[in-house]
Order: sequence, then C-alpha cells, then structure tokens
Amino acid sequence: MKFLKDKKLAASVAFTHMHAKIKQTIIATAGVAFGITVFIFMVSFITGSNDYMKNVTFEQSPHLRLYNEAKIAEKTTIDKVYPTSINIVHHLKPKEILLNLKDGKKAVQEIKKDPRVAAVSGSVVNQVFFRFGSSSINGKVNGIEVEDEDKLFNLAKKTVEGSFKDLEVVPNSMVMGVSLAKKLNARKGDRLTVTTEEGENFSVLVVGIFKTGLSNIDQQESYASLATVQRFLNVPASYITDIKMKLYDMEEAPEMSLALQKRYNYLGSDWKKDNAALLDGEVLRNLIVYGVATTILLVAGFGIFNILTMMIYEKMKDIAILKAMGFSDTDVRWIFLTQALVIGLIGAITGLLFGFILSYAISKVPYQSDVMITLDHLPVSFNPMYYIAGFSFGILTTIFSGLIPSRKAAGVDPISILRG
Amino acid sequence: MDNNVLDVKNINKFFYQPEELHVLKDVSFTVKKGDFVSITGKSGSGKSTLLYLLSTMDTDFEGSIKIAGKEMKGMSNRWLASFRNQHIGFVFQFHYLLPEFSVIRNVMLPALKLAKYSKEEIEHNASELLKLLGIQDQANKRASLLSGGQQQRVAIARALINEPSIVMGDEPTGNLDSYNTAIVFDLFRKLSSERGQTMLIVTHDDDFAEQSDKTIHLADGKVTG
Repeated sequence: MKFLKDKKLAASVAFTHMHAKIKQTIIATAGVAFGITVFIFMVSFITGSNDYMKNVTFEQSPHLRLYNEAKIAEKTTIDKVYPTSINIVHHLKPKEILLNLKDGKKAVQEIKKDPRVAAVSGSVVNQVFFRFGSSSINGKVNGIEVEDEDKLFNLAKKTVEGSFKDLEVVPNSMVMGVSLAKKLNARKGDRLTVTTEEGENFSVLVVGIFKTGLSNIDQQESYASLATVQRFLNVPASYITDIKMKLYDMEEAPEMSLALQKRYNYLGSDWKKDNAALLDGEVLRNLIVYGVATTILLVAGFGIFNILTMMIYEKMKDIAILKAMGFSDTDVRWIFLTQALVIGLIGAITGLLFGFILSYAISKVPYQSDVMITLDHLPVSFNPMYYIAGFSFGILTTIFSGLIPSRKAAGVDPISILRG
Repeated sequence: MDNNVLDVKNINKFFYQPEELHVLKDVSFTVKKGDFVSITGKSGSGKSTLLYLLSTMDTDFEGSIKIAGKEMKGMSNRWLASFRNQHIGFVFQFHYLLPEFSVIRNVMLPALKLAKYSKEEIEHNASELLKLLGIQDQANKRASLLSGGQQQRVAIARALINEPSIVMGDEPTGNLDSYNTAIVFDLFRKLSSERGQTMLIVTHDDDFAEQSDKTIHLADGKVTG
C-alpha cells in the first residue's frame, strides 16, 4: 500500500514537471512516436513484399520433390574380376541408367494416403527443343497428371489464354509459358514441333498459355499430359522422373524428405534447399529493416536521455528539497523514470497508430506489375507481431534512456546543493 | 527515556577537500522538547555543517546523534529519508519551494509522502497551517509567484505539516528584509511557545539569538557556550 502511494506521489510530481515542460515533453514523445511509426511502416511494407514474393515462388515450387540422378557406379568391372585386390580407376564416366523413379507410380499412390500431404503429383520432366517456323528454342516439357498438378500449382488459374484442362482431352496438346510462347511467336491453336534429346520429332498443338510471374518458369517450361510425354520418350506408362508434393505444414518438409528418400531410395529436395537464395535474401532484408528501425529508435532514445538529463540539471534544487523533505533516493528515481515511461508509452502508442494508418494507406495504393501479375495493390503485411515488437522496443529504449538520468537524480547529494 | 529531543555526543567532522580540515571538534549538547535553540557563530565556524549533520542528510561523521531517542549513526539512506520525513521539518535560507507546484501542494508534499492521513485530511491540515501563518489566500497560487516573505512562510508551513519532533532552520531570515524577518521570527516564537514545537535555528542575527531559550555558540568547531 505504502509502495503504491509512493509511486503515485512520484508520478504526480513527474506529471507536474512534464506539465511545466510541456513543449520538451511533446517533442520527446514525438521523437519516439516517429521512430515507431517508421519501424512499423518499413517492416510492414518490406515484409509485405517479401511475403508476396515468397508466396509467388513457393506456390510454383513444391514443398518436397523426389527425383533421380545419374550416378557414378560404386563398383567397376575390374572389381568383379579381382575382388580381393585394391583397384583404382581414374575418371569414371557416369553409369548409363534410366532416370526414372523405380516403382514411382506406386510411391505416388502411397504418398497420397499420407495425412500430412496436401497434394502429390508424379511427372516426367524432359529437355526438348521447340520448333516453330524457323525458330528453335530449348526448353522443358513436363508430362503431368493434369488434375494432380493443378492441385499442386493452381495452373488452371494461371492460364492466361486457352484452357489448361484441355490438356486432358486434346491429344498431343501442350500449354506453355508466356515468355516461351512470345519467343517462339506461338499462339493458342498453333502447331509446333518438339524435338527430344534422342532426335525424334513430334507435332503438338498449343492449347493454352500460362503466366506464373516467375521468369525462369515462364521462359522455358511447358506442360503436356503424362501419356503424351511418355510417348515422346518412348517409355512405358509406369515411367515417371519426378514426384512433387505439397504438405499441410511446409515446415515438415525437410524431415519428411529424408524419410521418403530412405524409404524409396530416391533423391530428394525440399523448398528450403530449393529456395536457399530467396530465404537468405529475406534474412538480409530483415536485418536491414531492423537495423534502420533500431537506429531511429536509438536516436529517439537519445532525445529522451537529453531532455531528462537537462531536466535533472534544472531540477537539482527541487531534488535536494524533496530529499530534505524525506523523499528517498528511490522516490526521486521514480519521478524521472515515470517521465521516461510516460513519454515512451504515449510515444509508442501514437507511433503504432500512425504506423498502422500509414501502412493501411500504402496498402491501398494501386500497383501494376508485369512480373507480379496477381498484384493490384502494394503488398503490406499487418502481422500483429511487428506491432508488439515495435511497442516493446519503444518502451525498452525509453526505459534504458531514462534509467541513467534517473539514477543520476537519485544520487544527487542534497547538502552540496542546499548549502549553495 | 528523558525528554531530550536531541542528544549530540562527541561529534567530530572532517572535510577532506580541498585539504583536510577538522570542522567540528568534540561537539556535544542536548535539546529539550519545546526548546527554542539558536546555533550561532561566525561564518566558517561550522554551524551550518553541524545543522546538516543533525538534519541526517550528511552521514559522514564520528560520534553520536540521537533524535527523539533514536541513533542516527550507521542508518541506511532509505531509513534516514523516512525518519526525516516524519521527525524533521526544514526551513532554508532561500525559501526553496517547488516552483511549479501550487502553494498548498508545496505544503502538502511531505505529508503525502508520509501518507499517515488521507489526502483530504492533509489538505485540511495544510490550509489550517496556511491560515495560522496568514497566507491562506495565496493557497492556490503557484509558489513562484509569491513574494520572498510569503514564500518563507509557506516553507515554514511545509516544515510543520508532519508535526515533526524538531524544526531546523538554516538562517531562515537571512534573506528577508527587517519587516519580514520580524514576522518570521515571531512565528517561530509563537510556534515554540504555543505548540511546544522544538526549534533549532542557525543564525547570525544577534537579536534572534538573544530571544531564544538556549544558544549554542560555535567557534572554530567547538562549542563555547
């Protein structure tokens, strides 16, 4: 009770001080508010764009991917002949193997039953040449189960011309990336020639053109039905080279990837490995945001520090009188700490408010981009975490910058001042 | 327990800056409850130093100081602050009010700190004191707007609000003209005789000293009479 009364009294003295120095108090508060506003605005805007980029990329990339790769044979022929001696063969060539996943179709069926998996699709990926008229461009064709793949990547929605579902019904049909089509000068309804690595030519019909917003995909990828591509390659219907899946919780991907690799003896990769550059970039961008915001808040903190220190020099006499009256060192410390706290609190709340208003305003600014086709307004994140972080950081800065002057005030020796 | 409000035994005080100086030498005396005591002496005789030791704000001394039967030597700052709040009222040479606060709030502050009574009671007591000192009409003015004599009376009211065992003054009339000096002096007398308030006043005003119950004269750090 006594404790509370002491704090209340200290606060009332603090308020009287602030009232007497209302201009400086407002300036200090505005400093904190400005710091937090900028922090909220920058973080919201930058993470908003980050998240948007991430979503675009991740939507087009599977969480988990199983594939096969040409390997160097572990045992050479010479080992078979001389099994007991140590044989060294320099510069081995890769083994000639089929790049398909053994029992891939069965694996797809099994993975489909896993409750953690949201969607899975088996496909054949192959390098081909597209020829249309005299132009010949290198690209990739994905042989897919149309429905499964659509579940994975929402391709039907990204088809800007024609229809993605036509792949299923029109024989020898193909959907291609918008940049690839532009380079070939191909449109929907055009027939073009696909040349495989083995040199065989097939004629296909372009039934659609898609746009993902990711240039490396739009420039070289195309889709055809699984059966079509298997026929190009002259392989059986069980032949698939890639299994792609999306999980309900993408954080589980690295762990699941290891388990599946072990179980099926395929190679595997997850979104974290595939997008390491993007994720690293995000960390760097966050570092920059937090660095700038911290600097701004530190400057605001120095403002508070300055004002309180000046206040204490002006109030030396008052502090001495208070102490002579029987105010303890702690009471005096609280008087000045309360001022810092009030400045911090009001500054932080106004800062959050203005930060929100500014972020909201910018999120309404129309923005058209050729690359980010699904974007119509500037992307802004409204994650409450940033508001909590901004608030806590603002309060912490003010407490720290109030602490040193308050301690100084508490340590004032009343006699040296009262004696003059 | 005797009725000595103040019991000072063998106080020695040294200053080390700018060079070692023996300021108070074996000072001993007692003050009875209700006494009006003056401490006199030339400047540099150590009278202010003595007062600040008695005020408990200066804790660096040898010897013993007992106020209201309690030993001050060796107590913590926090304990001394709360003791000061309850038992000692202070009047300084330069009135030293808190300039941003109203007159009545200046008077109330020590009592609010003590928190023995409710705020309403404290306010009532404070205005009673202001009435006693003849400045009740100034109660809601800001302290900095009052004249010197008025401010000093406010300071006296503030010193009295917690009904302290002892009121200490460091040349409380030193900064006032003769008219105000007379008012303040009469007030001290009146409080001492009517309310039985113990007073311990440092002064170099001989008239002031002559009219006190007891005078402690310091010369070169020693009590001489």
